[in-house]
Amino acid sequence: MPRLWHFTAEYLLLLPAGAVIALIWANNSPASYFRTTLRIEFFVNDVAMVLFFALITKEVVEATVAGGVLHPWRRAVLPLVAAVGVTTVPLLVFAAVVPLFDEPRVIQGWPAVFAVDLAVGYLVVRIIFRRGPVVPFFLLVGICANALGVLALGATAAIPIHLTRFLFLMGTAIGAAVVLRAQHIRSFWPYLLIPGILSWSALYLGGFEPALALVPVLPFVPHGRRDPGFFVDASPEAHDPLSRFERWARHPAQVALFLFGLVNAGVPLSSLYWGMWSLPIALFVAKPVGLLAGVRAATLMGFHLPHGLGWRELVVVGFVSAIGFTVALFFAAAVLPAGPTLSAIRMGALLSIAGAALAIGAAASLRCGRFHE
Amino acid sequence: MELRTPRGRRTLLPVVLFLLTGAGVWALPASTPTSVLPNAAGSLKLAVIGDNGTGKGPQFELASQMAALRQQFPFDLVVMVGDNFYGSQSPADLENKFARPYKPLLDAGVVFQAALGNHDDVSTIHYPRINMGGQRYYTYTRGSVRFVVLDSNVLDATQLTWAENTLRAASEPWKIAYFHHPLYCNAGRHGSNVDLRVRLEPLLLKYGVQAVFSGHDHIYERLKPQNGIHYFVVGSSGQLRKGDLRPSPATAAGFDQDQAFMAVEIAADRLYFQAISRTGQTVDAGELARLTRSGT
Repeated sequence: MPRLWHFTAEYLLLLPAGAVIALIWANNSPASYFRTTLRIEFFVNDVAMVLFFALITKEVVEATVAGGVLHPWRRAVLPLVAAVGVTTVPLLVFAAVVPLFDEPRVIQGWPAVFAVDLAVGYLVVRIIFRRGPVVPFFLLVGICANALGVLALGATAAIPIHLTRFLFLMGTAIGAAVVLRAQHIRSFWPYLLIPGILSWSALYLGGFEPALALVPVLPFVPHGRRDPGFFVDASPEAHDPLSRFERWARHPAQVALFLFGLVNAGVPLSSLYWGMWSLPIALFVAKPVGLLAGVRAATLMGFHLPHGLGWRELVVVGFVSAIGFTVALFFAAAVLPAGPTLSAIRMGALLSIAGAALAIGAAASLRCGRFHE
Repeated sequence: MELRTPRGRRTLLPVVLFLLTGAGVWALPASTPTSVLPNAAGSLKLAVIGDNGTGKGPQFELASQMAALRQQFPFDLVVMVGDNFYGSQSPADLENKFARPYKPLLDAGVVFQAALGNHDDVSTIHYPRINMGGQRYYTYTRGSVRFVVLDSNVLDATQLTWAENTLRAASEPWKIAYFHHPLYCNAGRHGSNVDLRVRLEPLLLKYGVQAVFSGHDHIYERLKPQNGIHYFVVGSSGQLRKGDLRPSPATAAGFDQDQAFMAVEIAADRLYFQAISRTGQTVDAGELARLTRSGT
């Protein structure tokens, strides 16, 4: 599976490398680590990560065209309902578990419960299920869960929200994007430099997370007629602006991911307390339950699961959805300022990667995917 | 910065224990602590406690020591550096974990001013007896001393801006900050919070803070001046982690064998301190001179 290895190398090595370096550095020379990351954290978290979320958005945009997992849009309805279950049930469990550890401030990190690491999760489901309906189903649930998480960020802004300036600037950004699209602009640069910067300013000055600046802009960038596949690189022959953007942004985004891991994963182990377990417990226990509940609700509403997707596969997808990792780290940094509470949530986000092992173990126990053969 | 060496004395008295069924009033103090402070007229006299809110015997015993000390050293302020309450924090719990152990002090009109610890529910900022005024971070003065109280659990930009503005505007000769997580500490369980240190210390240095009190680690430690600021860890006023102190070259004094609190007196340009254990032993004492730096 050379394409999967290529994907793994591109998306999954630099971030963990940055995270491992951060953990070692923060625990051996914490003063130098925190002094260094304090200087670069704004640039990394609020500027460089714009590229990563832009590439995720690009995948979602392309998924809406023929051949994509979001085409037609009705395919997303059942996963959306399922995503409500996969987020709200863990949230309730998180709220119930936090008091057990007597660390009440940890509850402030609740948006991290919504996070689903699409890249790591995609790798895990591909390893377990290879192809088939489970893979796009997981991606849809993950996209919807993360979208709900982004909305949750808005409800928990760490700094005061300035709605008027946000609406004015974002409205101007969207207007500019519409004009560029109407003018059939074939270069992606005007979209980045005009609506992109306006959108970033709107989010930053409005008190929201500026790394999401290109999320409302990229849907206006002209794209290809067919989706080459989720996390599949654009063909060199693809000349649409969105594909050219992806080819340009890919390597800088990898550097951004490395730096993101470096800046956000450096948690001094001695400063941790028991509250850090609240997040992984909520994720590992409640995500499979929440997904089953969400799917049940969707089927009661008249929707149907794709053929080949049963409760066993849903349990496995639930554990994969528990992998918050990158997105959980991002949500944590977006909602919590520096301090021990953020450290606890960060460690919980790092521990959530154990969902991969739980998913593989569940698939083996339930004999689904490759373990069914 | 001038610092005298400790002159600790040990008082040997028989231990007398009384246990009242149901009421949970705990042991009388084993000895009445002897104050070595100047105890001067007109000085600011206060006590410092941290990680105290267990509602268990040692907290009550230490509170008795505080009440006994107050007979000689009439402090009217108690600084609480966080973890004021452990476990459930219903109104009844707040009474059991605070109002009952410190009743003699409260009845005498002593004012408690708390900071939030990681175990404290945010709603306790509204508990009137700890005088936080519904704020996570706040400031107040006592005579020539400006106290700046921070919420170290979440050091948001708004709080940092407020702290800078407050310290910049402060005209008092003494500036003392306190918050739960120590910037410098040599305990095995947690230790120094370096993340907070790189964000907060420049501010404290820039505006001439002379002393910082924290808790979180369940020991007592006095550190040697760090860039001119004196740091005290007072985290064993209810909780205790015996043997957790890991003295380093930065440790000036420490005590991890029993609960402890501090008596502090500020008179003119000198700050006197005395750390007293649950059994009334003086485990550390000394004085420091007010440092004049830029911003003071």
